[in-house]
Amino acid sequence: MTRRDLLLAGPWAGLGWAGVTGGESPGFRLTDVTAQAGIHFEHDNGAYGAKYLPETLGPGCAFLDYDNDGWQDILLVNGDGWPGHRTGRSTLKLYRNNRDGTFTDVTRRAGLDVEMYGLGVAAGDFNNDGFPDLFITCVGQSRLFQNTGKGTFTDITKHSGLMGHEGFSTSALWFDYNRDGLLDLFVCNYVKWSPAEDVFCTLDGKHKSYCTPEAFRGSTCWLFRNKGDGTFEDVTAASGIFDTSSKSLGVAMFDYDNDGWPDLFVANDTQANKLYRNLRNGRFEDVALEAGVAFSEDGKARAGMGVDVADYDNSGLAGLVVTNFDNEMLGLYRRGRGASFVDQAPGSNVGRVSRRSLGFGCFFFDADLDGRLDLLVVNGHIDDTVRNVNRETRYDQPPHLFWNRGAAGFRDVAAEVGAGFASPKVGRGAAFGDYDNDGDLDVLITTNHGPAYLYRNDNTAGNRSLRLRLRGTQSNRDAIGAVVKVYSGGTASSRTVKSGSSYLSQSELPVTFGLGRGQGVERVTVAWPSGRGEEYKRLAAGRYEIVEGKGIQKA
Amino acid sequence: MKGRFRSPTPPLIAGLAVTLAAMAGFSWYTLGQIAGLRKLQTTTIDRNRRDSLQLLRIENDLNALALAMRDMVNGDEPYPLQAWRGQFERQKRDLDDALALERKLAPEGPNADRQQYFAQSLNQFWVSVEQVFALAAAGEGERARGLIRTSLEPQEAAITATAARLLVQNNEAEERAAARVQDIYARVERDIYLFLAAVLVAVFLTSLYLISSNRTLFARLEALSSQRSALSRKLITMQEEVLRSISRELHDEFGQILTAMGAMLARAERKEAAAPFREDLHEIRLVAQGALEKVRGLSLALHPSILDEGGLEQAIDWYVPIFEKQTGIRVRYEKSGTSPEIPENVAIHVYRMLQEALNNVAKHSGVAAAEVRVQFRPESLRLEVEDHGLGMGQKKAADARRGIGLVAMRERAELLRGTLVFERPAEGGTRVRLSVPIGETE
Repeated sequence: MTRRDLLLAGPWAGLGWAGVTGGESPGFRLTDVTAQAGIHFEHDNGAYGAKYLPETLGPGCAFLDYDNDGWQDILLVNGDGWPGHRTGRSTLKLYRNNRDGTFTDVTRRAGLDVEMYGLGVAAGDFNNDGFPDLFITCVGQSRLFQNTGKGTFTDITKHSGLMGHEGFSTSALWFDYNRDGLLDLFVCNYVKWSPAEDVFCTLDGKHKSYCTPEAFRGSTCWLFRNKGDGTFEDVTAASGIFDTSSKSLGVAMFDYDNDGWPDLFVANDTQANKLYRNLRNGRFEDVALEAGVAFSEDGKARAGMGVDVADYDNSGLAGLVVTNFDNEMLGLYRRGRGASFVDQAPGSNVGRVSRRSLGFGCFFFDADLDGRLDLLVVNGHIDDTVRNVNRETRYDQPPHLFWNRGAAGFRDVAAEVGAGFASPKVGRGAAFGDYDNDGDLDVLITTNHGPAYLYRNDNTAGNRSLRLRLRGTQSNRDAIGAVVKVYSGGTASSRTVKSGSSYLSQSELPVTFGLGRGQGVERVTVAWPSGRGEEYKRLAAGRYEIVEGKGIQKA
Repeated sequence: MKGRFRSPTPPLIAGLAVTLAAMAGFSWYTLGQIAGLRKLQTTTIDRNRRDSLQLLRIENDLNALALAMRDMVNGDEPYPLQAWRGQFERQKRDLDDALALERKLAPEGPNADRQQYFAQSLNQFWVSVEQVFALAAAGEGERARGLIRTSLEPQEAAITATAARLLVQNNEAEERAAARVQDIYARVERDIYLFLAAVLVAVFLTSLYLISSNRTLFARLEALSSQRSALSRKLITMQEEVLRSISRELHDEFGQILTAMGAMLARAERKEAAAPFREDLHEIRLVAQGALEKVRGLSLALHPSILDEGGLEQAIDWYVPIFEKQTGIRVRYEKSGTSPEIPENVAIHVYRMLQEALNNVAKHSGVAAAEVRVQFRPESLRLEVEDHGLGMGQKKAADARRGIGLVAMRERAELLRGTLVFERPAEGGTRVRLSVPIGETE
């Protein structure tokens, strides 16, 4: 099927295209289907009383289609017991989608039942073989698992040249920073820590408590260039990324200066955030200060955790969300004049609602398919004894689901979309994906030292969506970095195919556009990472696959 | 009267003006203090806080540089020394930004010299940093590390100490500002108490003055009322004496003359045989007889002699049928008890009130029947006149005329130390109830 075949006529004449629904009801529900879907996961943070810093941070999660069958599978990262204190075997979990709303645990079959103190995950087809590979960030040695395409993975850490890079790695993402068609790898590191270097911190003067990052030295992020032969080159120093003051927890890719070259935003904990502008020559320049995203509005370095980037106000310019510690509120940056951002949170409902929350995972997604991106933030404190020193702060905290009402701003509807969704959790990772292929976006949440939650999105407003899965040919096969724009009814909205974002997690790669009650869209453009541009007209709601240079077809 | 009694209004207006002026003055003073407080907070405390934030940022940057230099010296990272150049450049940019902001926010005065020293120290530091990276670029890593140890690290420590001193100065300035704020709060609090005390004293004095003025006013009113009552009583008494005197004159003098004239005319009539002249005499005698009756009637109307001769009971017995005859209103007359000896000066007033009450029935009630009840007790007399007509307040114009009569009735009742009540019976109309003690009148 070519794009010309999709120039629909006749039946579409006179019908409405993308529209926006009104009313004050969110128009969707998030139903907890964890147990009925067969997800039985409990995070092992290894805590045995030593109160080691990594115990508070994990785990991440991902929606990925590891078997390339068009159905999103689930990966849940796990920690492990500390040496000398292991009580059982803990591994990450890979759940294969049975295409009937349930999943099967295929961890062992896939060769992923490997013990490691995992924190985050980045899924990307670094070798362009059509199957996503996995990079698991760890305390110590992180792991790269190559997808064999036969339902199994092979640990190629050593062969890839990544062995020896030991750290306290948190979020990671795949992106093609040099636009050579090969996915490169960016890895965040938190602080210099090991059980041997642990320090004694206390809240009450007697008992050990979890330390804040100020107690430790920062650690540089890493950038690995994909050499195309299954190995990677450490270009951290050569690219200008090297920075030992960073205490990085979240990373998101976006084209900050709209030059077609992917830039990076890195959220740092108690240190200035970084905005690495791609200089198109293999080097990056930190412009966070000039862009106004390094510090809070009063010049304070906040405790940045998770991050996401999206054109949430359909202005054509990307905005940023960064989750922070409690009493800091999250940062919701909108593009101001020129190249700088302005934090909208302090004067808005988003800031007021999030002030008391300690946020981690976060992402923009069109929860109600009305064409406007909503914002999900999962929260949870790092210290289980926080109530002893602050009666008003809970360890487990409810998530925020900020429903985008356009000019009326965001409203937290977490308590309105399902009985259990707003229940307090020690939230960490968060990802979205359409696991049941019904056109709306389901939610996956992980909790620290607790279960994972799968929430099925039940769209009650009758809204439709356009879902596009992109496959690069000249560009990297996952099309990570491709920007898709949809035009309809005088408005335009855009999505970027991306890895990373949120916190330790990765959402599905296909992009979803909510159409409201509309039947379809007038025009779709794709800007591929290779530089190629494509355009498709009059697409009806539904699922499609676009192959770079080869056209579009129904999926 | 004006000369003897002073109105309290002018002093009260003057007091109100003084109070309002005091409140306005105090409000102005308080607003001035609040404005001063706000200015102090924004110009000193907020500015200090923001300045401290920048100094903390500078300290954080310097700390990051110190850690980076330690990493460089220790060789902890698997990267060449050149790799740190980017980090140093970033820290320099951030330091420059923080310093520029700090300079804007820093308080004027003694800090200026220290800031200059600060800026010079930093410049020197960056020169040394360039030397380190130049050595590193030339492949002289060990010399570069040596320069870090011997030059960069001491410089950084000195700059950090300067930043720390500036922070301490900021904290001290903040403490001084906080003390000033406390002082302003204490002053305003004290002034509020003083103002409240002054207001309380003013309210107390004004109340005393008002109480005193009211007492004088009421005493004056009471005296005026007594004077007015005494005057009324005197007038009524005098009126009754005049009426009685005229009545007696009419009865005794003119009555005797006319009686004598009648007797003489009758004698002449009998002596004179001539018929025409006798008829004239008879006619004259009849005229004289008529005049005599009219004089007697007028005399009775002005003051019924029966009152003096037979007492109040007989006077009422006599008057009620006359009223019926004169007005055509049927009067149901009830009498109970035995009439004690009622002094003449009481009887005339009761009689006059009965007359006035019945006249009001005839003039205003619009009915053809009325009731008169008299109850004699040894110590008191009770008289009720009742009709079931229009009642008082139904005819406004009539009530205005009736008002004068009613005032006179009240005066007479007061004169007798009795009570006079106007009631509205259940059937409608008016009931006049008079109760008079006997033997207690003036």
